[in-house]
Amino acid sequence: MSLIHIEDLSKHFRVLNRREGLGGAFRDLFSRDYRTVRAVDGVSFDIEPGEIVGYIGPNGAGKSTTIKMMTGILKPTGGTLLVNEKAPYDNRIHQAMVMGVIFGQRTQLWWDLPVIESFRILKEIYKVDRRTYDEHMAMFDELVGLSALYPRQVRTLSLGQRMLCDITASFLHNPRVVFLDEPTIGLDVSIKAKIRSVIEELNRTRDTTIILTTHDLGDVEALCRRIIIIDEGKILYDGGIDKVTALFGTYRTLKVQIDESCETKVDAVRASLDRRFGPDRGITVACREAPWTNITIDQDRTPLSDVLTHVMGAFAVSDVRIVEISMENVVRRVYDGALE
Amino acid sequence: MRSYLAVVRGSTMMGMVYRFGFLAATVGNVVYLGVAYYLWKSVYGDATTIRGLTFDQTFLYVALGSTLFIVLKTYVDWNLYSEIREGIVAIYLVRPIDFQLYMLASCTGFFLLSVATLVVPTILLMVFVFQVSIPLSAPLALLPFSLVFAFVLTFCFDYGVGLSGFYTESIWGISTVKDTLVLVLSGALIPLQFFPDTIRDILRWLPFQAVYYTPLSLVTLPDEGWQHVTRFGVQVGWMVVLLAATRVLYGRAVKVLRIAGG
Repeated sequence: MSLIHIEDLSKHFRVLNRREGLGGAFRDLFSRDYRTVRAVDGVSFDIEPGEIVGYIGPNGAGKSTTIKMMTGILKPTGGTLLVNEKAPYDNRIHQAMVMGVIFGQRTQLWWDLPVIESFRILKEIYKVDRRTYDEHMAMFDELVGLSALYPRQVRTLSLGQRMLCDITASFLHNPRVVFLDEPTIGLDVSIKAKIRSVIEELNRTRDTTIILTTHDLGDVEALCRRIIIIDEGKILYDGGIDKVTALFGTYRTLKVQIDESCETKVDAVRASLDRRFGPDRGITVACREAPWTNITIDQDRTPLSDVLTHVMGAFAVSDVRIVEISMENVVRRVYDGALE
Repeated sequence: MRSYLAVVRGSTMMGMVYRFGFLAATVGNVVYLGVAYYLWKSVYGDATTIRGLTFDQTFLYVALGSTLFIVLKTYVDWNLYSEIREGIVAIYLVRPIDFQLYMLASCTGFFLLSVATLVVPTILLMVFVFQVSIPLSAPLALLPFSLVFAFVLTFCFDYGVGLSGFYTESIWGISTVKDTLVLVLSGALIPLQFFPDTIRDILRWLPFQAVYYTPLSLVTLPDEGWQHVTRFGVQVGWMVVLLAATRVLYGRAVKVLRIAGG
């Protein structure tokens, strides 16, 4: 039996359509017009014990809603959802003992108290025995030097320190599954690496199942062997990481600034590149973030340096940047059938 | 149980972080007591009793009333409301805890601290500075229980208002109405003896007076005997009813969150 079993899961919200203007606001007082949003729409997957799964997708794709259903905060509208063979929503208190949750934007620690007090309170809340608690704290002290933070008030911690403490807190009761919602958001590179290695270590030594939602493709690449991509409430891809890495691994976006606005030049750039490299060479030109003209390049087909040289020669370029492909771009590519 | 005790312990420690707030409340209360002293002194003028109360009884009542008013503020309504708004409430929902008991435990520490920093100094001040005599009597034995129950009752009012944050985008209006109702109808502002008799008869059976009048009368009206027991019974009854009612309200409110997303 898999640890998490999801079949045809859906969650619909009723959202109020607000009318425009003062008159509209007045009419809203008397008659209301609702529409249904299908935040999660017929999702199915199974997760085995010990897996690290990346659950990714653009903003508003339905990731958080799925996580909230798995943690028992939201009740599904339809379908089957079992975590550790039980429905989370109907057994909330019991289920809370087998799972840990980290919301990257919020902390579960007591803001005004020294760090160690939060662990002490959580130890009682989760009924963790003395020995397990001591072992756990010793392990974290060894991994990240946590004991130096014990006397510090939570509000004085840096974002990275706080996240390490939050991770310690969510693994304290040795849960079967931990949901990590954006654990590295806003962190710098070195602390990101530390957090990734801690998560990996916990998964390896305790066989804890980990569901990771993130916008950072680096997290996914470092931790996950399997990823599930969701968009508009539906699953686009569920499978090994390698195919997806290949997808974002070879793509780079070259951003060039030619004029004040990219609109005037985007067609000229596209035409010029077509003339130089010919069609079907994995080059797309777009104007989405003025004043930048974005040129996305598949490096397997056309070397980035060639494109750069050509654009520099043909246009009066004032600024250049090279960025790795974004989550939104990966999803768009998967959506366009890049994995089929 | 141990888990809730740990939360009480944590909230007590948190209260100590805000020690300056307690100091300010104590100082403010002393100033208020000075004003109340002269106000009621002039109300009494030459009269020895008004509506059967001596000046000492009234002043003691008003002084303890204003002190309790600070002690019994749980702020659960505002805290819960902002936690719902900011989505922090999700963190409580993924913990193996009973939400109502957790909320009660997390404001108990403040209550204990403010009993120590406000009630005790006020009583000392009354006895030694204002020279008010506090009669020692049998009903006083009920006082600690009655105080705790009064705290649980205020918690229920505040928690109930806080839960309305699941439904509405601002609880300001509801919270203000609740504060005013409690302040006036509970006898916190003016002793209930000063109300017309018919209104007093109605108020006697409402939950509001169980918050202030019931514990305060234990101190100021030592001769009332059985009436104390009746009031105490009404207090316990309302506590049970409101604890149950807010449990039902939570069960419904949390479903709204689940429908509306968050």
